[in-house]
This record gives sequence, C-alpha cells and structure tokens, in this order.
Amino acid sequence: MHTRTTNRELWYAVIAILCISAAYLFVVLWYEGIPRARGLFGHSIGILGFLLMLMTETLYSLRKRSRRARWGRMSGWLDFHIFTGLVGPYMVLLHTSWKFNGLAGVVMLLTVVIVVSGFIGRYIYTALPRTADGAEIEASVLETQINSTNTELNAWLLNSSEESVRSLARQLSFQSPQSQSPLRLLFGRTFDDWRYRLFWRRELKKLGLQIGTQIEQLNKLLQRQRALQRQMASLAMARRMLALWHAVHIPIGMALFAAAFVHIIAAIYYATLLR
Amino acid sequence: MKPSRISCLSGTGIITALLTLMIITGVGLARGGVLFSPGDLNAIPKDQPLGGVATHAEIGGRCAACHTAFWEQELMADRCIACHNNLIQMGQNFHVVMLAQSKSLQCKHCHTEHRGALASLTTLQMERFPHNDATRFSLQSHQRNQDGSTFQCEDCHGADFAIFQVNWCLECHLEIEGAQIESHAAVYSLECLACHDGLETLGRGFDHNLTSFALTGEHTTTLCSDCHAGAGSLADMEATRVECAFCHNHDDPHAGGYGRECEQCHNPQDWEDIAFNHQQTAFPLLGAHAQVSCQGCHQFTSLQNTPTTCFACHAENDPHEAQFGQDCATCHTVEGWDKVTFDHSLSAFPLTGAHTSVACTDCHLNNVYRGTAQVCQTCHVQDDIHAGQFLQDCAACHVTETWEQVNFDHSSAAFQLTGAHVDAVCSQCHLNGQFVGTSQQCVACHADPMYHQGLFSQNCDSCHNTSAWVPATFNQAHRFPINHGRRGSSCSTCHPSTLRDYTCYGCHDHNRANIESEHREEGIGNFNNCVRCHPTGREEEGGDGGGDD
Repeated sequence: MHTRTTNRELWYAVIAILCISAAYLFVVLWYEGIPRARGLFGHSIGILGFLLMLMTETLYSLRKRSRRARWGRMSGWLDFHIFTGLVGPYMVLLHTSWKFNGLAGVVMLLTVVIVVSGFIGRYIYTALPRTADGAEIEASVLETQINSTNTELNAWLLNSSEESVRSLARQLSFQSPQSQSPLRLLFGRTFDDWRYRLFWRRELKKLGLQIGTQIEQLNKLLQRQRALQRQMASLAMARRMLALWHAVHIPIGMALFAAAFVHIIAAIYYATLLR
Repeated sequence: MKPSRISCLSGTGIITALLTLMIITGVGLARGGVLFSPGDLNAIPKDQPLGGVATHAEIGGRCAACHTAFWEQELMADRCIACHNNLIQMGQNFHVVMLAQSKSLQCKHCHTEHRGALASLTTLQMERFPHNDATRFSLQSHQRNQDGSTFQCEDCHGADFAIFQVNWCLECHLEIEGAQIESHAAVYSLECLACHDGLETLGRGFDHNLTSFALTGEHTTTLCSDCHAGAGSLADMEATRVECAFCHNHDDPHAGGYGRECEQCHNPQDWEDIAFNHQQTAFPLLGAHAQVSCQGCHQFTSLQNTPTTCFACHAENDPHEAQFGQDCATCHTVEGWDKVTFDHSLSAFPLTGAHTSVACTDCHLNNVYRGTAQVCQTCHVQDDIHAGQFLQDCAACHVTETWEQVNFDHSSAAFQLTGAHVDAVCSQCHLNGQFVGTSQQCVACHADPMYHQGLFSQNCDSCHNTSAWVPATFNQAHRFPINHGRRGSSCSTCHPSTLRDYTCYGCHDHNRANIESEHREEGIGNFNNCVRCHPTGREEEGGDGGGDD
C-alpha cells in the first residue's frame, strides 16, 4: 500500500510562487507601480499562467486515460497537475493588476474556486488507499493488510517485557475509529491524527518512557493499524465523495476555461489588434 | 473500465462550458462591451459635439461605435474620421500632413482610449508612432538625450509638434559634437535632412563599406569633407568621383607623369607600399633590377616611355668605354655585373683548361678587351721557370689544363726517349730546370754500378738497352765459355756479387759437399779455384792429379 507521506509538489509550488512574487515585486519597484495587465510583464505572466492552467486541465486527465502511452507514474502526473494548478492561477492572479471587474474578474473568481476545489479534491483523494503507482486498492486487499498489521502488533506485545507499554498499546489499539461516522472519518482525519499524536506523547511522558527504537516501532504499527482501519471504514464514503467532487470540479473548470477563452479572444481583438 | 475521453469533455463539462458562453453572450447583448471592462472612456467635453456626442464617455458600452467586426473592411481609424472629419477638412494642418505622408499611419498610433475619464487621449509613444513613415525621419537614434532623459517631441519641435525647424538640429549637435559639427555644417550646409534620415545612415554609425567605395587604410580616418568637399546633398555625396586622382591629383609627386591610375601601384594602406607588378610589363624586373627603386629607372618621366635598353640607364657606368657597343646583355646578366656570360669560344682565343676559371681582368688588364695579345708569354712571363730557354712558345710543351701537364714531343729532340726513358720524369734528366744542352751520355744520369768493378767503359749501351738494365748482353771476349752448361744467359749465375769474382756452385750439381767429396777421392785438396784446372769448364780438363796451389 502506498500512503502519500510527502508533499513535494506543494513545496515546489511554494518555491515557484515565491520566485514569481520576487520578480513581481522587482517589476513593481522598478516601474514604481502595479504592472498593467496589458503591459509586457502583465501579458507575459497572464499567458504563462493560462498555459499552466491549460496543462493542469488536460495533461493529467489525458495521462489517466491513455491506454498505450505509459509515460511516467500516475502519482508523478498528479504532482505536476497540483504544481501547475497552483502556480498557474497565481500567475493569472498577478496578471489581473488587482482589478476584478467584468469578465476578467469572473475568470479570476472561477480560478480561485477551482483552486479551492482542487485542494478539497486532493484531500479526498489522499484518503483512499493506493498503490505506489497511484492505483486504488480494493477492500479485500485492504482487509488483508489490516490482519497482517494486527498480527504484527500482537507479536510485538507478546515479546514486550514492559507491562506499562503493553497496557498503553492495548489502550490505543482498541480505540477503533470504526465507531465514528465515515464522513467524520474522511474529513476529520487530520484532526484525529493530531489528537492521537498528542495523546501518545502525553501518555509516554506520564509513564516516563523515552522514545527509543522499540517505542518508535510500536508507534508506527499503531499508526498503520489506525490508518488502515480508518481507510477501511471510510472507503465507500471516500469514493462517493470523490465522484461527487469530480461532478462539481469539472464543470467549474469548463466554465472557467470558456470564460477565459472569451476574455483572451476579446483582449487580442480589441487591445492587441486594436480593431 | 477507464473512460475513453478526458473528464473535462464529459457531458456536464460541455454543458457547463456552453452555458457559460451563453451567459457571456447574454450579458454582452444586454450590457454591451462593459463585460470586458476595457476601462472608462474619456469624459472631458470638447468645444463642439462630434458625431452627436460631446465626449467618448457618452458612447460607453457601444463597442461598435469605434471597433469594427473582423469581417468588415472598415478600420477603427475610419470610424474615428467618420466623427472627427473636421480634422481633414480644415485645410493644411498637422493631421492632414501626417495622413498624407503615411498611408500606414492611423489614429491609434498616437491616440488611445479606455484609460480613464480624465486621461489624455494623446499618448504618443515614440516606439509606436511611425515617425519614419510619417516624416521620413526615424527616431531610432533620438531615443535618449545626452543627459539620459527620454527624448520628447518638444526637444525637436518646441511647443508645436507640427513645426520643425532644421537649424534646431544644429543647436543640440553643437553641444554634443562641438567644432566637428560646425565644420561639417560649414561644408555640407545646414540642410541636415538632405542627407540624414535619423537612421545614422550617413552619420557616425554610417557604414561606408556598404557603398561602392569601401573605406580601407588611410581612408578610414579621412574626414568626410576631404573627399566630399562641397557636397550639399545626398545626391552630391553619391556623385563623388571614386578615381584616386580626383582627390590625390594635387599631391601627385609624379606630376602626372605616371598617369592617373594610382591604384595600379599604390594602395590606401600606405602610399609608400607600392605593389605594382612589373612582371606584367614588357620589361619584367629580374635579378638586381628587382631591388632598384622606381625612380632609379623612371626618373619621374612617363612610365610608358621609359627606354628598355641597358645603355639607357647604364651608359655612364660602362667601364668598357663603349668597346662592346651598347648591348651589355651580350656578356652581362641582370643578376649582377660580375655575372658575365660572354662566350669566349666565339672569340679568336677560346678558353680551355685553367683559362676557363680565370677572371677576365687577369688577362684583360685595365678593362681593355679588344686587342689582347694571345701569346702565352704576355700573361705568363712571370711564370716562366725556364728563364727563357724555350723563348715564348709555352704551348710547345705545356697545355692549358695545368703547367705540370707537359706535352713535349721528345722525338723531335736529339735524344729520343725509348724504353724506360719514356716514363721518366723530365726533371730526373733535366736537373735544375735546365733543358737545353742536357748531356746525352748514359753516365750523365746513370753512375757505373759497383757490380761492374770498373771492368767496362762508359758505353753502357754496349751491353744494356733502354728497356731495362737487366738482362744485359755481353758480346766481348770471355775466357770461360759463356754458355757453359747452357746457363750463360745471366751474368749473376756465375758472378753473384761482382764481375771480378765467380763461383761454380750456382748451378747444376756443383754443390760444395759433392765437389769436395769427389776431389778428395781423387786426392785433390786444392779445389777452390775451379777455372785453374777447368779453364773451359769441362771435367776432364783437370787431368788425373792436379796439384796444390
């Protein structure tokens, strides 16, 4: 099973956004004002941003549906999709020269909506268990993995000489998330994880235990068991929510691009060609 | 199963896109072009309404009032003029001039809109205004002032940009280029625009090499006015003659003697570096002539008429004082006066042997070549080791190869050379260089040998001949049979040391042991003087006893 443990694409996006911001600030200081949307910098950043958004809209989707060409891992394409989906809209935002009226304003609003929607979609997406290639794991496979983890945990408890640790492990192990509603498990998992980590540290401190190799091994086993059980409990809900998200996200994207194309054509016709 | 098309092209996606387009179209139809938020139109009223409105702001939202559809032939400029037709009906004014000069110039190149209600409608951007098309003067080189500030219309046009006075060029450029531009104006007049079009085509950046007369060498640092003196227009510049003599006639050191095609010998890099190919003329420069300066032969006279005979240049240094006429080349070459190629074999005295390597002056003293005596003694009198014994006819004995190689025919002398005398060196007989009066007697050269013991006279030839001393022939009376035992061919058989002594042990069975044995048997003890008992060599001559001496 593959669990997304890094946010590499988000870090890349943040770095790119910082670089673009620095360039933007330089232009602002050099020309002593906000760069106009119709100026060289404004136009350039708008065009580049739109191209990135277009790539966001098409490339990942095409890769998902390509039957013959298997260029790169799906997870890699998803990373690129997220990267362009953040950097592109940011560049378009800078292109607006902070004026949001008319059709351009609508396009920008839709852009913000699609980015927020994208974040939600990614949150739901990461709740589903997947292989390293990004393919979803079926429930039966997930159940096998849960049993394997339980066996491993029990073996660890049998071999442990510390009664206090065994007690803590049993206490945490028995806090099954299955008792909670699937919707709560799906969207509240970040909060639950945070609360679990807090409890773990507090109990360790109370028992006077130092974090060693054995304790860390136990923590990992408990976390894995917890994640698998939660994924199992919220699997159906996560799939339903992801489908629902798709149904909303894609029309918003299409509306965005339809409006953006009209904006671009009008800009070329009236401003560039000056007809 | 995977879906066959990308998700954005799903039914809901397409419907949403179409719906969005419909909404935009609807809003556009209902609210006009405000949907595109192009910016507020100018709202400053003019003196009188045009096209039914006092300001552009009054036509806000009606895009088609100014903008044309892409399928229409009409341009936005046509719609400007449709309202602002007063601009072209007011006679000769700036706009009329501009529009007349440039077909491509449009209103939008100087005027703009949608920049706000109070913004100026004229925002002339240097880079957008087609100054070159409109005025035939490019602003490419007038982007920045000397102080770095952006060039403004006022810098050339003053308060009214429709006016341009050409002497304003001079005002600025005198500050920039000082005296140089002053002299330039003095030469070429103040009509700057007659030559300059703002593209620096005839200014500092002008590349003269793109013309038919590329500037090289000294020409690159020459002032324009040095060649284009008096040129008052571009046409005058272009009409400048390119012949060298047109500019260099006054400083022609040849005073026109070499014609007007300077480039045949000179180049713009350096006048002194003359590269004329004399080899292509009727008189190629060879040998020492290649090192001679032009003036050495041409003496500043016409190049074409320079005589090509040797004497034309070399008459005064003819050491022969015209003995051989004027054709020096008969004997001399251009490699040097010393390199003489006279064929002496054609003369009355062909040079052979050692004479071929003798310097001319060794024989032809004081440069006198004609009438030189041909007798040996004339030159070799000091070499005559014979002290005049043979008078002057050296050739009677000697040849020209070497003195040592003597060729005297001794058969013509009184003493014929035969036998071994033929190979004898002259000096073996002719001692001390004395040839005449040399004795013909053998003893004059050959001393009587000890072997003879003075038995013979000085007539060596009575026994010997000139072939060899040995064998000799003895024809005089000999007491002992000379052919004893048929061994008499050689004297040394019986006289091994001298002719006065003899021995019988030199042949056949006369060895001392046998003789002694045989004589002892006969009781003969004294047997040393053989001929005493055997005067003719016969054995029986000794008798039966003999006696002791």
